[in-house]
Amino acid sequence: MLTSRRNEIVTASVFMAPFVLIYGAFFVYPTLKMVELSFTNAPLIGDGAWVGVKNFSRLWSDRLFSVAVWNTAYFVVLSVIPSTVLGLIVALGVNRLKGWLQSVTLAAFFLPYILPVSVVYRIWNWIFDKDFGVAQYALAPLAGEPLAIFRIIPLFIPAAAFITTWWLLGFNVLLFIAGLRNISSEIYEAAELDGAGKWAQFRRITWPLIWPVTALVLTIQLILQLKIFDQVYLFSIGRASNATMVMVQYIYREAFVQNHGGAAAAASMVLFLVIVVLSILQFQVLRAGGSGR
Amino acid sequence: MHSVELRNVSKRYGAVQAISDLSLSVAPGSFTALLGPSGCGKSTLLRMIAGLEEITAGQCFIDDVDVTLTPPAKRRIAMVFQSYALYPHMTVRQNIAFSLSLAGQSRKAQDEQTGKVAKLLQLEALLDRRPAQLSGGQRQRVAIGRALVRDPAVFLFDEPLSNLDAMLRGQMRVELAKLHQDLGATMIYVTHDQVEAMTLADRIVVLDKGRISQIGSPLELYNSPANKFVASFIGSPGMNFLPVTIAGAASGRAKAKLAGGAMIETPVRSVGPFPPDAELGIRPEHFALVAPDAPGSALTGAISLVEHLGNSTILHVDTPAGPLIVEGEGNLAAKAGENVGLAVDSDRAQLFGPDGNAL
Amino acid sequence: MSAAAANARPAADAARRLNRLRAFDSVGLFMTVGTLALAVLWAFPLYWALVTTFKPESEVVKAGLQLWPEHFTLENYGHALFDTEIGHWYVNSLVTSGATTLIVVFMAAGAGYAISQLNFPGRRLFWWTILASFMVPFQALIVNQFVLMSQLHLINTLTAVVAPQLIAPVAVIIYKQFFDSVPRDFREAAVIDGAGEFQLFFRVYLPMNWGVTTALAIIVFIGAWNNFLWPFLAVTEQEKMNVTVGITQVFDAFGVKYARELAVSMLAALPVAAIYLIFQRRVTQAIMLTAGIKG
Repeated sequence: MLTSRRNEIVTASVFMAPFVLIYGAFFVYPTLKMVELSFTNAPLIGDGAWVGVKNFSRLWSDRLFSVAVWNTAYFVVLSVIPSTVLGLIVALGVNRLKGWLQSVTLAAFFLPYILPVSVVYRIWNWIFDKDFGVAQYALAPLAGEPLAIFRIIPLFIPAAAFITTWWLLGFNVLLFIAGLRNISSEIYEAAELDGAGKWAQFRRITWPLIWPVTALVLTIQLILQLKIFDQVYLFSIGRASNATMVMVQYIYREAFVQNHGGAAAAASMVLFLVIVVLSILQFQVLRAGGSGR
Repeated sequence: MHSVELRNVSKRYGAVQAISDLSLSVAPGSFTALLGPSGCGKSTLLRMIAGLEEITAGQCFIDDVDVTLTPPAKRRIAMVFQSYALYPHMTVRQNIAFSLSLAGQSRKAQDEQTGKVAKLLQLEALLDRRPAQLSGGQRQRVAIGRALVRDPAVFLFDEPLSNLDAMLRGQMRVELAKLHQDLGATMIYVTHDQVEAMTLADRIVVLDKGRISQIGSPLELYNSPANKFVASFIGSPGMNFLPVTIAGAASGRAKAKLAGGAMIETPVRSVGPFPPDAELGIRPEHFALVAPDAPGSALTGAISLVEHLGNSTILHVDTPAGPLIVEGEGNLAAKAGENVGLAVDSDRAQLFGPDGNAL
Repeated sequence: MSAAAANARPAADAARRLNRLRAFDSVGLFMTVGTLALAVLWAFPLYWALVTTFKPESEVVKAGLQLWPEHFTLENYGHALFDTEIGHWYVNSLVTSGATTLIVVFMAAGAGYAISQLNFPGRRLFWWTILASFMVPFQALIVNQFVLMSQLHLINTLTAVVAPQLIAPVAVIIYKQFFDSVPRDFREAAVIDGAGEFQLFFRVYLPMNWGVTTALAIIVFIGAWNNFLWPFLAVTEQEKMNVTVGITQVFDAFGVKYARELAVSMLAALPVAAIYLIFQRRVTQAIMLTAGIKG
């Protein structure tokens, strides 16, 4: 188009200015600083000396850090897989409904997703309350006595994963429903004429065609749950939390409790790298697996 | 009344030469059609006149003013797009008045201008509707209205009828013709449909791969095509081409020998020398059906297919000279498998050399 | 094949199909009933919490399962409204979420437009930066965001709460994609009509994508309202907290008061729940948009 080059650049600058300023100040700068900080022994606020990779080697030998990594992985497995599988099942079920019943049912699954995490915490803290929580009606008979779920270390992560699934299932259901709706009903009709039963239809039509959505949901949930903090922190209030620590919690502790800025930055770097690598890897693998079918 | 002139313009996209050294003069008040198949460069040419594409080399003049480097808004052109580009979030009134509003005109002035245009195009009742609520024909009128309100020097049309169904297309063609009559404005019209070009234009520019193949009035192009490309593009069903050898030529006429032995004598424009091998072009409507053994019958053959259109009949005939398409008036009582004789209006036939140019 | 067998064949086929239809139905019925039952289970926790807030504390700690309050009361909400800082928290949440939404939408639309429609040096670089920023989780940056806010003396201000939340690459990407999909004809027609870039942006591109703006605004608002981690770190004074953080700071001096705590929580969730219930389609549309980007 016949506009002067200089004019175009000036105009573009005006459009981009807010973005560049905000991004520069609150993304690029902190990211660079994080990298720098991870190589120093600075406290949270203030300067420190360059220590090279000492922070990282310290992480390697820090038992608490490996506990945090392990817990995070454990949490991810317990939340990503069930919520994805259940999401698909629920989507299949909801998709069969029609009209207002479908809307109401979908809302039932989706409304929790809209709630702030602290409200979710309060609700489930109440339900699992040792003295008066309604869950004890089911739990107490099994265990012989009321259970303070979040004080029993082996149960902590599973319980948190369970609650997270309740919280986030609606998101998965939504995505799956959209994916299911994209499969033309004619394909199912043709399959039925060819003699395919319900299970065969699922295995040979639904599953392969919904695979891109499944991969997407898995990827999104994986990255999301690796960054878990809020629920775990909240449910650990008032008790020693070392055994149930997760990675972001470790970062928080190092920075805001122990005042080790450099160490926290190093842990942040590790988290960042893990997320980048895992997410790229997983997406490639899932995508290749899909096209190979 | 306003003129447009292109002098030696070229357009290059990277390694691709879309237009090569093209010169064109558009007379004031004329309706000029740019006609050609997809990819011939007609849209590119129009957009260069509009200022939407840069002119790689050459100059463009509107009213003898060099506008080669002038931005589109300042060229006093208005354009009707193939998709009409009516803003879906604005009413008809707002769509038409958009350019006036951008120029900062007062609300009163805008309404006045819009009202005038709406009256001319019979859009008054639709002024407060949204484009989605309009029919195809109504949308086109709004697009024209948007162009009209700018009082441009030149109107540019980029295949505006190709999104309409056949019946609507016929109606809108008539409206466009009337519009040109009423306004007398200079209009440049891009199309790939030769019927549109033939019916609407004073002059047709036939484009082939970025070059002008021929310029002329519709009848000139029909009666005296300069080359095989123009001859096959104009007229439907298309012209028949039969391989011939030239047996001799004298005083403006040449004898062409068809495969199978028939001889046709036809006028030629060039003086020679004539190549031995050539092609003879005969339009389907320039045959007459006669009995196979009648004296006027130049060719005989068997009918392989009959297509009844009601007002005319198209016959596919296999002759020793080659397969032919013949068009006859009215409903012909011919049947597939019959043998027929074909008389040729040889004065209307056309010879083409191996390079495709008319002889 | 005998005639009898030939006649028996279609009858057998029909019977087989009927059987399969019956089997088909039972699976379907199982799925439908199962889904509905699961939906009821899913809705129960929220329902239970809500019901608890309408019971007096004495009833809450009583033994036995009361699915409906014996004595319906609003005293818990009264307490929540008058005995906590919830008024301040609400205002803080409104201000920070509103500011975040306005700034993000404005900034993302502008940047998305420039990257989509304009040609300027560094355009590619910006685009790759945005895509790369996806990979950097906010959680990894909390330390340095805090340090930055501290250096700017912004800790415990609403500005500090807003600032890091303005990084929303998803919004820019969505705008860019939608602006890309506007047919070129509209741009050219407007240019011929004399429109400059700003006029194009405000009068053509933005209005034509109004639905996107609405959906994004809603989703950014909800996200900002629900944000816990960063507001938690940035603000320690109760008065300056947003409501999501505030409700976790409510501890009664005289032991746990379940109904009251829950009432405060319900109030915290009310605005976003209302937004969802009213704008259901926009919200789900926005979720789909952002998820599509991640794919």
